[in-house]
Amino acid sequence: MAGEMMTGNLAAAWGARLAGVDYIPAFPITPQTEIVEALAEWCDCGAMPARFVMMDSEHSMMTAAGAGAAAGARVFTATSSQGLLYAFEVLYSVAGWRVPLVLVNVSRALAAPITLEPDHNDVLAARDAGFLQIHAETCQEVLDSILMAYRIAEDERVMLPVLVNLDGFYLSFTREPVIVPDPEKVAAFLPPLRPAHLGFKASAPHALGVAVLGGTPYTYFRHQMHLAAMNALQVHREAAADFERLFGRRYDVVEGYRLDDADDVLVMSNAFATKGRAAVDAARAKGRRVGLLRLRVIRPWPAEAIVTALRGRRAVGVLDQNLAPGLGGILVQEIAATLYHDPARPKAICSFIGGLGGKNIHEGEFDAIFARMEQAGKAGRGEGPVLLYTEAEHREMEQLQILASESRADR
Amino acid sequence: MRSIRFHGRGGQGAKTASRIVGTAAFLEGLTAQDSPLYGAERRGAPVSASTRISREPIRERGLITRPDLIVIADESLIGDPTARVLDGLSERTVVFVNAALPSEQARDQFRIPGRVTTLDLTDMTLRQFGKPVALSAPLGAVACRLLGLKAESLKAAITGELADLGLPETVIEGNLALAASCYDAVPVVPVEEMAGTPPAPVSLWTPVYEPPTLGSARISASANSPLRETGGWRTFRPVLVPDKCNGCWLCFVYCPDGVISMTKDDLPLIDYDHCKGCQICVQECPTKALVAEREQEGAGTWRAK
Repeated sequence: MAGEMMTGNLAAAWGARLAGVDYIPAFPITPQTEIVEALAEWCDCGAMPARFVMMDSEHSMMTAAGAGAAAGARVFTATSSQGLLYAFEVLYSVAGWRVPLVLVNVSRALAAPITLEPDHNDVLAARDAGFLQIHAETCQEVLDSILMAYRIAEDERVMLPVLVNLDGFYLSFTREPVIVPDPEKVAAFLPPLRPAHLGFKASAPHALGVAVLGGTPYTYFRHQMHLAAMNALQVHREAAADFERLFGRRYDVVEGYRLDDADDVLVMSNAFATKGRAAVDAARAKGRRVGLLRLRVIRPWPAEAIVTALRGRRAVGVLDQNLAPGLGGILVQEIAATLYHDPARPKAICSFIGGLGGKNIHEGEFDAIFARMEQAGKAGRGEGPVLLYTEAEHREMEQLQILASESRADR
Repeated sequence: MRSIRFHGRGGQGAKTASRIVGTAAFLEGLTAQDSPLYGAERRGAPVSASTRISREPIRERGLITRPDLIVIADESLIGDPTARVLDGLSERTVVFVNAALPSEQARDQFRIPGRVTTLDLTDMTLRQFGKPVALSAPLGAVACRLLGLKAESLKAAITGELADLGLPETVIEGNLALAASCYDAVPVVPVEEMAGTPPAPVSLWTPVYEPPTLGSARISASANSPLRETGGWRTFRPVLVPDKCNGCWLCFVYCPDGVISMTKDDLPLIDYDHCKGCQICVQECPTKALVAEREQEGAGTWRAK
């Protein structure tokens, strides 16, 4: 097998190293720390000619990252979960500065209660910040997506920061074979950063993100960010073609699996999509014509690709690895809105909530998903949100409640 | 519905005046709404406030774009294009200007197409208090009179609003007396309800992507802040008494706008085109070498270029 065994975190660090970044402001947080540790070591031993600075918080880290990029440097940084939220206001600021930095988020469910394992409430909270978002399924894709992220971010048609997401534990600490691209080919893929609107020169001062009152300039600039993000669909297409030509691996905004004759299609994202593929194979072995659509680019929202993949299906299920209390799944809303105007929209859209806080999704749960989708499709009526949470798991939960209870005799 | 727009400088009382009118109308059983609008700049910056009064529910929000009455607390605002004092004016709009000029003269001098009335509120206020203070009560009094609101409602509104600001009873009493004389003295031009003029049609614009040199909120023109002259914001100017200056540079350090430079003899040089008249230098000067002088009409008065 080609490549070498490495974790998703190390693959992320390699992405930054190969991209030839100039500046890495950092702050540790589980399960991301391994990324900045690797980068710190490489900067220290001279393997990477970048400036590595440990900051006092993610808020400072993100501010420094934006400022470095505004000065014209190629900037990389990484965080996770609470750290991403701590940097939250700065995400919006630096996106408004139109700086092309790359931020890796290692997904981890949000407190409270505290956990270290993943779901996507952290990364999806940032979906409206103006960052583009690429969600990776494999360690290889983490590395490759970082290279593509710089290429897309730095294009004058885009000039927005990009967030590359990988799941904590399931990718961050998971080793699998990864091919490290040839640095010379990476240099051919990724030209030097020469942004026309950024840079630092004492003789030519400029101000970014200035105050605008009255609403009109704000409307214009905010809408420009939208147009820039939409341009990223075309820029991604070009970058994907070049990437495939140079490295032989192809990444599109969405990825279909066994869609050709599928009646029902399950929509997923990130590392658990691997399990989704296996579940599709298992369901097909039992005679169900099902397929999988993996969302890879979440911002810009690839509406056209989604409609193309899902129109005419009997039922569509969306497995949201997140929960918006009081609403349900987040991505199912966007999928439903995207399909609404298509005359051949699916007869049923089902919403599933699973994998919260890193909870496993068992084969049996996938069986239940496909069974329910078939039923909904036949009835022409979707359902949800359906929580993926089994009776056996609830028995474990009850044991924990007994242990946590002050007066165990009450139970 | 009648719409009243107040214009003043930060600290002059336009916001409180708009609240006084809103409260007075409310006390008379009308529906009222008042709201201020201001930016990030401070004392001296142009401020506006909108009050709407009606016998029907008010289905409007925010800045008044077609005023029935404009109340101008500071005549220098009329010449400041950023203050947009005369926006939405029609020939039926009543414009009150706090000025020493008679109405006709003010109308000609400031080239106001509406129906103009004036009163020198600054002078009446100085006579009442012996020092310059906010004009909230006199502005509110004038507006109430022009709108036909009762003197009792005005009195109750001023008492309530100024008490809310934590002003002592003696100050409130002084303001009530001042407001009563302004209410009586202002030449009345009745404020008519504007007949519903049809809204101007708009064409929606679909912006296209522009490169970030244009499409990001970025200023690359160097040194453009001197173009925004703020000298007209002053009611008092700091003036140097050279004999008293010990050359300590404290005024230079404390000036929040960097308009004080130092000569090679260590004397402060004030850029009056940009000095907003905040008086911080006057307060900080340890030898009282900087004193505050009232801005007067005449050759020495700052004029927007």
